[in-house]
Amino acid sequence: MSATQLATPPPSVLRMAEGGIHFDGVRAVDGVTLEVRSGEVLGLIGPNGSGKTSTLNLLSGMLRATSGSIHLDDHDLTRLSMRRRTRFGVVRTFQSGRVFGRLTIAENVEAAALGGGLRRREARQLTADILAELGLEDVAHQQADALTAGRIRITAIARALASRPRFLLLDEPAAGQNESEAIALITAIREFAQRRGCGVLLVEHDMSVVMGTCDRLHVLDSGRTVTEGEPALVRRDPKVIEIYFGKRHDHDAER
Amino acid sequence: MTVLSTRLQTPLLLIGITAVVLAVGTAGGPTLERVATLSLISVVFVVGLSTFSGNSGVMSFGHVAFMAVGAYTTAYLTIPVPLKGVLFANLPESLRWLAEVHTSASAAVLLSCAMAAVAGLVTAPVVARLSGLQSGIATLAFLLVVYNVLNSWTDVTRGSSSMIGLPRSTTIVTAFVAAALAIAVGWAYRTSRSGLQLQAGREDYWAAQAAGIAVGRHRAIAWVLSATICGLAGSLYASFLTTFNVNAFFLSATFAFVVMIVLGGYLSLSGAVLGAIGVSVLQELLRRLQDGGLTGGSALPPGTANLLLALVLLLTLVKAPYGVMGARELVLVRGGRRLRRGAQAVRTPAGS
Ligand SMILES: Nc1ncnc2c1ncn2[C@@H]1O[C@H](COP(=O)(O)OP(=O)(O)OP(=O)(O)O)[C@@H](O)[C@H]1O
Ligand SMILES: [Mg+2]
Repeated sequence: MSATQLATPPPSVLRMAEGGIHFDGVRAVDGVTLEVRSGEVLGLIGPNGSGKTSTLNLLSGMLRATSGSIHLDDHDLTRLSMRRRTRFGVVRTFQSGRVFGRLTIAENVEAAALGGGLRRREARQLTADILAELGLEDVAHQQADALTAGRIRITAIARALASRPRFLLLDEPAAGQNESEAIALITAIREFAQRRGCGVLLVEHDMSVVMGTCDRLHVLDSGRTVTEGEPALVRRDPKVIEIYFGKRHDHDAER
Repeated sequence: MTVLSTRLQTPLLLIGITAVVLAVGTAGGPTLERVATLSLISVVFVVGLSTFSGNSGVMSFGHVAFMAVGAYTTAYLTIPVPLKGVLFANLPESLRWLAEVHTSASAAVLLSCAMAAVAGLVTAPVVARLSGLQSGIATLAFLLVVYNVLNSWTDVTRGSSSMIGLPRSTTIVTAFVAAALAIAVGWAYRTSRSGLQLQAGREDYWAAQAAGIAVGRHRAIAWVLSATICGLAGSLYASFLTTFNVNAFFLSATFAFVVMIVLGGYLSLSGAVLGAIGVSVLQELLRRLQDGGLTGGSALPPGTANLLLALVLLLTLVKAPYGVMGARELVLVRGGRRLRRGAQAVRTPAGS
């Protein structure tokens, strides 16, 4: 572990302070403060409509915050476009995948590598490396919209990696997969994030999936922070139990 | 097959198809040669249009204006000076030099392309910012502006009177060479860094932004390149017909070219080439049908040919919304580009 850390850039912090956005009256995010540090996985959880995607939209620049600020270390990102933030190393995926449907998987990844400013040769090299790492080599030349939903999600992650992220913002990367598949995927994400010294914000609505895979959890409800902390502590929090009442988080304890 | 030839088979096949048009046109009589030459010029134009529309996904109704820029530039540069003295007797003082300049045919082609590129550069900032319906309307507005300037600025452009007396420097062979060149350039752009990023933006604008891609910048690059190619088509058109009228560069030409690219499939270069050739042939057949030459019977009412063409377009759009080719390219052998594998590629069995 220490060997890989030697090779990684100095740790940095992506921070949203009192971030907020409202859509004609609905406060989708209401004064949320959170921090992601390089090398760690922060799970952002909460029930449907609690503001997880909106928080990710604020961090990535898809939406401009109506209040609060977003910083990467000392750099103020609050007013930067999504594209500029990607070039800064803050890279997102979308809840619905949004791959480039009529391009091949390899082209999807290569386009992102080129978007990050790489030369052709470097972009192809990076693409080959990422496809190999994520086990997508066999479908590299298939058109993206012909793939299964699971493969489309992996392609979206591959594309995000091609932007050479310092922070990855992943919106429910394991949606539609069963619990053990989801845990395997997030564990793999965690491993390559640590190897690259990259911080991960992972949006997930299933508590049981994030328990063993995230370093810290941040819980949202109705656009507000409920609590934040180590998974084991968060799960025992009465407010969290109330929100997730009826969810099957209990029987996952022996995992 | 080697990797290189698999990658180049599409442009080579397309150039091969235009070579067939050349062969047929050369073997046939003068009428056939004329039809073949005009269809090769259409190939140049539609490949130019597809360089923008195919990669960006934004349809343009304004590209005929670039063709006009190319045609007028060629007219100014190649009509013999004595004749120009007569044709442009009322040039304003500041433009007197236009009646004096004269260049070789090949220099005229290059300068025509350059002028169309300049027109593309001037309009590129607008195109970079707009998409969808707004962009379609903006390109149509551009066509209207250029048409009205050409039609109204009579002292300089001869307005609705024809340009005449251009030396005939375009032959079927030059038209073929230009078509092959356009296909090569169109293919090179499509597979370039900029082309790939623009196609990503075509597929999903916001996902492309999230991938760091400056979609607007690449749209502008494609716009200028496609303007240049359409300027080439205009120059060839002018020096093939030796006389032309401003009305050749307005709505009916726009419609004809849009039918070509939409029928063939605007997303693919193969669709552009096949559409241009196929519709040229179809137009000629319909024309012969209309004046009775094909059936040996009596002539049909004027407009029948265009009506039938519109019908074919409608039927195709219903059956195949993205044209005959869709997003596919013509290939003989299926085979992907081989990935260059990194020596230090890390393999991770998940969960180890
Ligand atoms: N563009 C928008 N316009 C109006 N309201 C919106 C918009 N985006 C989100 N909302 C509202 O903001 C609230 C938070 O939505 P958000 O998508 O952030 O929730 P989420 O936690 O990601 O939910 P899910 O688990 O379903 O993905 C919801 O009430 C939603 O209806
Ligand atoms: Mg969501």
